[in-house]
Amino acid sequence: MLKQFLNKIPRKAVKTDSPDTNGMEQGDNSNGFQCTLGGATFSSRFNVVKRVSSAVFPTGGTEAVDPHMSFKVVSNSQKQSLFLSKLTLCCELYDFNDHDKNYSQINLKHETLIELVDFVSSGSVKFNEAAISATCKMCAINLFRVFPPKDRSNSMGGAGEDAEEPMFDPAWSHLQIVYDLLLRLVSYSSLDLKVAKKYMDHSFILRLLDLFDSEDPRERDCLKTVMHRVYGKFMVHRPFIRKAVSNIIYRFVFETQRHNGISELLEIFGSVISGFALPLKEEHKMFLLRALIPLHKPKPLGVYHQQLTYCVIQFIDKDQKLASVVIKGLLKYWPITNSQKELMFLSELEEVLEMTSIGEFQKVMGPLFRRIAYCLNSTHYQVSERAHLLWKNEHILNLVSQNSQAIIPLTLSALERNSQNHWNQAVLNLTRNLKKILSEMDEELVTSSQRTSQEEGSTLSSTLEKRKAAWERLEAAARGSLISTDSAACPVTF
Amino acid sequence: MAALDETLYPIAVLIDELKNEDMQLRLNSIRRLSTIARALGEERTRKELIPFLSENNDDDDEVLLALAEEMEAFIPYVGGVEHAHVLLMPLEALCSVEETSVRDKVVESLCRIGSQMREMDLVNWFIPMVKRLAAGEWFTARISACGLFHIIYSSAPEMLKMELRSIYNQLCQDHMPMVRRSAVSNLGKFAAKVEYAHLKDDVMSIFKGVTQDDQDSVRLLAVEGCAALGKLLEPQDCVERILPIIVNFSQDKSWRVRYMVANQLYELCEAVGPEPTRTDLVPAYVRLLRDNEAEVRIAAAGKVTKFCHILDAQLAIEHILPCVKELSSDSSQHVRSALASVIMGMAPVLGKDATIEQLLPIFLSLLKDEFPDVRLNIISKLDEVNQVIGIDLLSQSLLPAIVELAEDRHWRVRLAIIEYIPLLASQLGVRFFDDKLGALCMQWLQDKVYSIRDAAANNLKRLAEEFGPDWAMQHIIPQILEMSNNPHYLYRMTILHAISLLAPVMGSEIACSKLLPLVINASKDRVPNIKFNAAKVMQSLIPILDQSVVEKTIRPCLVELGEDPDVDVRYFANQAILSIDRVMMSS
Repeated sequence: MLKQFLNKIPRKAVKTDSPDTNGMEQGDNSNGFQCTLGGATFSSRFNVVKRVSSAVFPTGGTEAVDPHMSFKVVSNSQKQSLFLSKLTLCCELYDFNDHDKNYSQINLKHETLIELVDFVSSGSVKFNEAAISATCKMCAINLFRVFPPKDRSNSMGGAGEDAEEPMFDPAWSHLQIVYDLLLRLVSYSSLDLKVAKKYMDHSFILRLLDLFDSEDPRERDCLKTVMHRVYGKFMVHRPFIRKAVSNIIYRFVFETQRHNGISELLEIFGSVISGFALPLKEEHKMFLLRALIPLHKPKPLGVYHQQLTYCVIQFIDKDQKLASVVIKGLLKYWPITNSQKELMFLSELEEVLEMTSIGEFQKVMGPLFRRIAYCLNSTHYQVSERAHLLWKNEHILNLVSQNSQAIIPLTLSALERNSQNHWNQAVLNLTRNLKKILSEMDEELVTSSQRTSQEEGSTLSSTLEKRKAAWERLEAAARGSLISTDSAACPVTF
Repeated sequence: MAALDETLYPIAVLIDELKNEDMQLRLNSIRRLSTIARALGEERTRKELIPFLSENNDDDDEVLLALAEEMEAFIPYVGGVEHAHVLLMPLEALCSVEETSVRDKVVESLCRIGSQMREMDLVNWFIPMVKRLAAGEWFTARISACGLFHIIYSSAPEMLKMELRSIYNQLCQDHMPMVRRSAVSNLGKFAAKVEYAHLKDDVMSIFKGVTQDDQDSVRLLAVEGCAALGKLLEPQDCVERILPIIVNFSQDKSWRVRYMVANQLYELCEAVGPEPTRTDLVPAYVRLLRDNEAEVRIAAAGKVTKFCHILDAQLAIEHILPCVKELSSDSSQHVRSALASVIMGMAPVLGKDATIEQLLPIFLSLLKDEFPDVRLNIISKLDEVNQVIGIDLLSQSLLPAIVELAEDRHWRVRLAIIEYIPLLASQLGVRFFDDKLGALCMQWLQDKVYSIRDAAANNLKRLAEEFGPDWAMQHIIPQILEMSNNPHYLYRMTILHAISLLAPVMGSEIACSKLLPLVINASKDRVPNIKFNAAKVMQSLIPILDQSVVEKTIRPCLVELGEDPDVDVRYFANQAILSIDRVMMSS
């Protein structure tokens, strides 16, 4: 009955300012996708509810209880309705910037929130429909907010522009407890999911995911725990959550390159992926391909690289056949000028190769070792060192030795170039060692490819000549045919 | 055999090059596609090259971008407009690429090609392609589709038009926010092609839905749509349909949307017309000026003057001016700075009396602002207020402001004020300038920072131009003479620099009698850097001075420098001698 009432309100509220109900219908038939109008109805629902709430919530048959009373003094039968009225009290928002004016109210709300958490943790709460609805409403009103713009006042000071302080919401002392309450609701062991999902709907989840962009790591941490729990508990929401997170990632990778919560989202996904059933669904593989691999591209990769690698490794762990796909992706997004990123790629590559079977390895080894050869030659000594160290890995060495015919020639010319040109002593030593390892692997091949690589030097100029000649002939042919086509084309082109 | 070779040849070269591991080579060969096409001839380009390109699009984004660029101008190579549709095939595949810059370019190329295609071909080829893209499984194809509707709509038959409108409606409600964003940002272009009746119904209801999107990134794009659609609608419809949306947006819960409204305010006012602006947008604008977020107030403050131009003086004084007063003491320096950069422009709108009575106190308080940018912004627009109330009323407060800026500890602030000195000089007149600012201009020549000294020298030149050589003779030259003996060589160098700039303005006589001796003197300096700079200045004086002077005075001096122990001094002296010789030869 309560729900019906709640549902009626937004319809009317929206209708008054929009004669067009066409969009509304879609907003309400939640067919698994987040609808364009979901948020608008959602927020207006709560705004309206906020005003009428005192009339709505104590409808469970018991009369309203003064929210200022303590749980200790009321009878057990009244506790539940006291819980509701305290929740209603906490729906009021106060301006923390004007702390002096609202001091007493802010304090009162703080105490009330703590009482609520205590009450819930004491186990005496019953999360029936009214309680779930009221808790969700209170959380929505408090948590769902638009983050303020980045403060520019410091940036003019000149120095220290990069080391910007993260912005903390002045109301954090309240938010923290609200998150705690939400977590307790989601973790409530005998939560009626059918009822709860009416209030924790797609729109609610979407708004929750939006909050991951918070600059406050404490808030993101709370969100991570809550969202993880939601994902675990609400089976019906899982596809939607995956989709919504993909959208956040796409936006981050392809549009803004700015998001504060990517690493937290990936942490959730780390455990989500490890829970995927085998064989992997196409949808999940797509997530790897379309979201996780492109995540290697943005500049702030360093912030979430560890979590990203973990997710990628989880995928390969599930399905060996994905290794070559991942390696191809890494090669596609391989950084060209950013050595720091290159180091991350190399370490991820090593982890991936560690899990790669020989069959998968053979699919990509050509392009892969051409890339590694470039890294061996990098003038950034750390990159070069890191590339040399790949051979210290036994699994990789094993893969190489089984395919030495293909790999040694590629590697050797890079090593030759290093021993002739590289500036760094440590790299030179590593190069010498690596050459030794390769010689031990296949002495004959090493000498023969050394010979061919020397010859290559002389053939290089001739291939250049050939290319130039080829294009010149083409140029001449083009000129020749231009005359004929021109006369032919004349009547057609206008 | 040779003939067979010859015919296969062009495409074989391309295939070969596109297989190369070196991306630069692949890129080069794509850049030369037109050569290959010409060599192949039109028919074989259509039948062999284009299909080949359509199949081989699994390359680096950079190569794909180049391919999209090349295709844009490929119509002549496939046999002219009647065959243009073959180019759609390779481009359609590129519409699904992830990289945004590639897709943008592909859409641009497709638009270019589509706008040249014959109507019949658009219906047969282009529209089916757009429909395929709009139904694409992967969201990138749908994003690309949004940018193509405005090319095809007019050519479509009635039934198809209806279908296109409904497809666009679908795109605006796509479950991916990225697609919705693309649909919204292209809505204006599409709407411009739609018949008025449908514009009023279909498009407006699509738009209405978009304005209620739950993602603020979508809504804020719709703000621009308001201006675009508003211009297409008849005034009455615009007021009825668009105005309420703008007013709603100005109270959106996301500051980004409100910021967008503040930023686009002028365009929005233009769209709805002056009368509704006065009645409905003034309250909205006042709210934005008092917004909670500084970012919104910054955008709103920057539009104060433009907005007031639409209003009459009465409304501006009544509604906007009180906000302006509040903003002039806003807690954010950026708000005050934004206000200061435009507020002077309000003077012509308000008229003389109101300016003196109401605006002047605000100018004065901003001139005393603790944040230098605010003061600088006021000073930079001094000419605008001068036309209305004259400068006298301000000059009392101007001077302390200028002096303080001139001594600011940030050299960029000092630099900024120097650049406004010629403007101030022209506005304030010689008298005021002589009394108050002359000394400052000289003081800057001895600044610690090179850029300031350099700007100071330039400033002297511009002042000499403004007030004439006689004035400069009286007020600049004597002090220059005096400073040329400064014990610090860097300051002596600045003087040399100033001389080289002033000489052309002062004319040959003064240059010869007053400035040249200084330079000659400098050539005997003990610091080599001064000596070779003296040589450089002499070189620059050659065209100004009389030839006899050059021969009698400059050449001997340069010859002497040419035997200096310092290699740089010798070099520049010889350079100068060479240019004397060149002048002699040519005369």
